[in-house]
Amino acid sequence: MLEQIVFWSLSALVLLSALGVVLQRNAVHSSLFLGLTLAGVAGIYGSLGADFLFGAQVMVYVSGIAVLVMFVVMLLGRASDLHLRQVNERWTAALLVCAVAAVGLLKVARLHSATSVAGAARPSTREIGRLFLGEWLVPFELISLVLLAALLGAVFFTRTEKA
Amino acid sequence: MADPDLRQPLVARRLPGRRRDARGHPARPRRDRSRRRRAREAGDQLFALLASFAAQKGVPPAAVDAAWVAIKVLIVLHVILINGLWSIWWERKISAHIQSRVGPTYAGSPKGWNFHGWAQTAIDGIKLLLKEDITPAAADKWVHALAPGLVVAPCIVAFAPVLFGDGLAAANLDIGVLYIFAFAGISVIGVVMAGWASGNKYSLLGGLRGAAQIVSYELPRGFSVVPVIMFAGSLDLQTISNAQAGYWHGILPKWFIFYPVVGQLAFVIFLIASVAETNRTPFDIPEAESELVSGFHTEYSGMKWSIFFLAEYAYVLLGSFLLATFFLGGGASPINAAPFTLIPSWMWMLAKAMLMMFVFLWIRWTLPRFRVDQLMDFTWKFLLPWSFVNIAVAGLYLAFWLK
Repeated sequence: MLEQIVFWSLSALVLLSALGVVLQRNAVHSSLFLGLTLAGVAGIYGSLGADFLFGAQVMVYVSGIAVLVMFVVMLLGRASDLHLRQVNERWTAALLVCAVAAVGLLKVARLHSATSVAGAARPSTREIGRLFLGEWLVPFELISLVLLAALLGAVFFTRTEKA
Repeated sequence: MADPDLRQPLVARRLPGRRRDARGHPARPRRDRSRRRRAREAGDQLFALLASFAAQKGVPPAAVDAAWVAIKVLIVLHVILINGLWSIWWERKISAHIQSRVGPTYAGSPKGWNFHGWAQTAIDGIKLLLKEDITPAAADKWVHALAPGLVVAPCIVAFAPVLFGDGLAAANLDIGVLYIFAFAGISVIGVVMAGWASGNKYSLLGGLRGAAQIVSYELPRGFSVVPVIMFAGSLDLQTISNAQAGYWHGILPKWFIFYPVVGQLAFVIFLIASVAETNRTPFDIPEAESELVSGFHTEYSGMKWSIFFLAEYAYVLLGSFLLATFFLGGGASPINAAPFTLIPSWMWMLAKAMLMMFVFLWIRWTLPRFRVDQLMDFTWKFLLPWSFVNIAVAGLYLAFWLK
């Protein structure tokens, strides 16, 4: 019962703040709602008992990615950007794309809907570490390599050549 | 990696069940074989008292649990609030003596006891409460009002797993370290919001500098603790504290700061990054009174302004307790002899945390401010690479020395 209340209120928070991201006229407000959405997703991870994922989501997305998005919006945004309508005449097409994506996600989620989750948080850090460095070592290292390449690429492209 | 023994924390394997004896505590009959169960005893006694009282009065157990959580939350909240009173007064006295002044002297009882102006912060608090709460005309009202709350709330939440002594933590989290760092990082959103919503270019600059600085210094701060986590084999603060029990040759405590080179380097990097995270003086470019007229909180007054400082001092306290837990052995005695080992763990923990807090205040009133580019070079070109080297050397220690 309590778990249901927590789950549905967190889901409502995520969806409403996600709507806020796309409907707010002020880009800074949108970025703040983005932070709230990501925090709500972290809350859902926490309520499903994935404690490490909860911590990692808060650390990386809420206090990392969301802050950088705000930083960029505030640093690069012109005053006129802050009061634009976020919806133009193509909104029906966008809605269709969203619907298709949502149906696709729902189909994928249905496949795994039989997987039961532990309600209460239980220590998962040790198991995750062992899987990363054991069974899933190759994918883990491949992802590390991709991220390193992205990092170096970002540094390379933003470098200004000085004479 | 298939060794089933790896499921045990590394240090616990070396010190099977000797924690209490090593510290000279009287050996108690073990009620439960799990370490965490034993560590919780101090709080458990209080809870048992509460539960037995409730059982007599016929209160349902769910209500007892809820009341217990509320009590723990209130205690932790009051630690943060009283810390504000204490550390601001202490900082004023320390800064005064460093600058050959005397600091607050008269505030207190008008006739009687006014020891070193002990009531100064309380009276300042009343003054701040009575000040006008100004919202600038150019401000974004909602964001401006929410920003101080978003700075202080994650800070209070981050105190949940902080260890105040053996078994004295509000929440016993397996991901303790990650949890604290994750929530401590959210506060920067409040700083950015305050800077932007004030409708003031200086404040905006302060907020942007704050975001860049805190996001940058979070990395070395997190990586400097990785050797500690590797040695202890856990993210749980209680396990980290327990892993430092015992003495080498019966003299030198097995604290992580005494692990050769790795311990000291990790300690220094963590201390520097913690000071930077609190926006205090060598790293105070987001506030920078002389160039940004106090940056992101220029346009705040009254209690909203003081909440930023409540959060700042709470982060100083958080950093002090973390330094004490990670590197100074938690509640363990530094001297392996009778009168010192009998002192309760929470007193040692508090003493170590206050020592670290003194270091925080001392740094602030001794060092001049960094320039923006120096600040960024320092973290990305010095602290971060050396914290990576530290992790590699800690791996070598685990492979060859701490087997």
